[in-house]
Amino acid sequence: MSKRKGEIDAASNPSPTAYRLPPSRAGALARAWAICAKDAAQELRRRVAAASIFFFAATAVTLVSFAVGPFGLPTEARDRVSSALLWIILFFCAATGLPRAFVREEETGTALALRKVAPSSLTLAGKTLFNYVLFLAITAVTVPAFAVLLEWRLESPGALATVLVLGGYGLSVVSTFLAALVARASQKNVLFVVISFPLLLPLLLSAISATIEAAGGALPATALRVIVAYDGAATCAAYLLASAAWED
Amino acid sequence: MKFLKWLLLPYMAAVIVGAFLWPAPAQGFIGESSRIVFFHVPCAWTGALAFLVAAGYSVAYLARRRPEHDDVAAAAVRLGLLFAVLALVTGSLFAKIMWGSYWNWDPRESSFLLLIFLYAAYLFLRAAVEDPERRARMSAAYALFAAVLMPFLFFVAPRVTASLHPQTVINPQGKILMDAPTKAVFFGALIGFTALFFWMLSLESRAARFDRAAVSRLSER
Repeated sequence: MSKRKGEIDAASNPSPTAYRLPPSRAGALARAWAICAKDAAQELRRRVAAASIFFFAATAVTLVSFAVGPFGLPTEARDRVSSALLWIILFFCAATGLPRAFVREEETGTALALRKVAPSSLTLAGKTLFNYVLFLAITAVTVPAFAVLLEWRLESPGALATVLVLGGYGLSVVSTFLAALVARASQKNVLFVVISFPLLLPLLLSAISATIEAAGGALPATALRVIVAYDGAATCAAYLLASAAWED
Repeated sequence: MKFLKWLLLPYMAAVIVGAFLWPAPAQGFIGESSRIVFFHVPCAWTGALAFLVAAGYSVAYLARRRPEHDDVAAAAVRLGLLFAVLALVTGSLFAKIMWGSYWNWDPRESSFLLLIFLYAAYLFLRAAVEDPERRARMSAAYALFAAVLMPFLFFVAPRVTASLHPQTVINPQGKILMDAPTKAVFFGALIGFTALFFWMLSLESRAARFDRAAVSRLSER
């Protein structure tokens, strides 16, 4: 497939010189999209992050359904417990795969080249976009499998989808920002879980509360407002602090 | 400054004596348990203030890249954790007397515990990075990111779910529901704990400065 001039070429050539962003006169969104496309191309070539996340999700859902099963929960507790278990699985899926976006750049020695060709805010935006798409893909597979295996009847799938889309966005923004922070630290994987869990807890608690309401057929207006506010605050903070987290 | 430092000792002693002897116990609480407000709330306030100071010095570090600012930010987080743990312990003692259990998974209790985790993670992050300049920059970024998301733990989460916690000083009526002696001791304690924090912060920062100077002298040899 022929590439347009200026497109990132890392998929076919992993050397650091392969990073060529669209010219700066192209919009920021186009340049962030180019970084996202580069990550997607790298991921499609090796499939390490996607495979590990999907495998983790499959194992976790199987384990939960085996332990709890469709009849293991009393009806009145089903929505509450299932919502909590679902978001715990999604959080650990995110912790397994989303930090790869930055860690991979350090491991393959391409981080310096990326720092040279793209401002940190654009790098963060591109990688957040990639992580968000990855998270939505995991969710699209995990949630139906989880609902089927646990016989979890969802009264308001539309509201649940909104919670997953908004909650997933916050999860992706915070995870990507923290991945940039821990990329050059020792014990990256443990450190990522340690520092991300307390920061993500307000989001996870609101998402669990919204999922319980959505599963019961109600519109979780208050919890959704909190999630949107969290998403907005996290996006602004990540954008402003991107250079401190990523630049050398 | 030295005079103020020595004044702090009799001042805090007066606050403690006043807390136990001056105002009558508040109505609606078991025994003398309401007196914990003179220690619990100032500890919680000082903890939150310490984390805000850490955020302020993190901004200063990112703007000027002076290692002293990083020293103060790190010291503020350590002291903030100390005061936050004290607030959690005093809150648990109150919970045992009032609700019969040290821990009730009350949203305010839980969110305070999570706040402690949030800033304990800051210390983990510092420990995981060797290079001092990189450590300072990453810690500053984390401290600011945490400060932006802290209100969701501190103010939003406890208010969207039902709580057993007594009405706070910042309440929907916008009034301080205390009699005059209680108010005097309460605000006296707030001022005392705040002064104590700033004194401890100056000691910690000086110790960190001496430490850094000693390391640089050793590396020059």
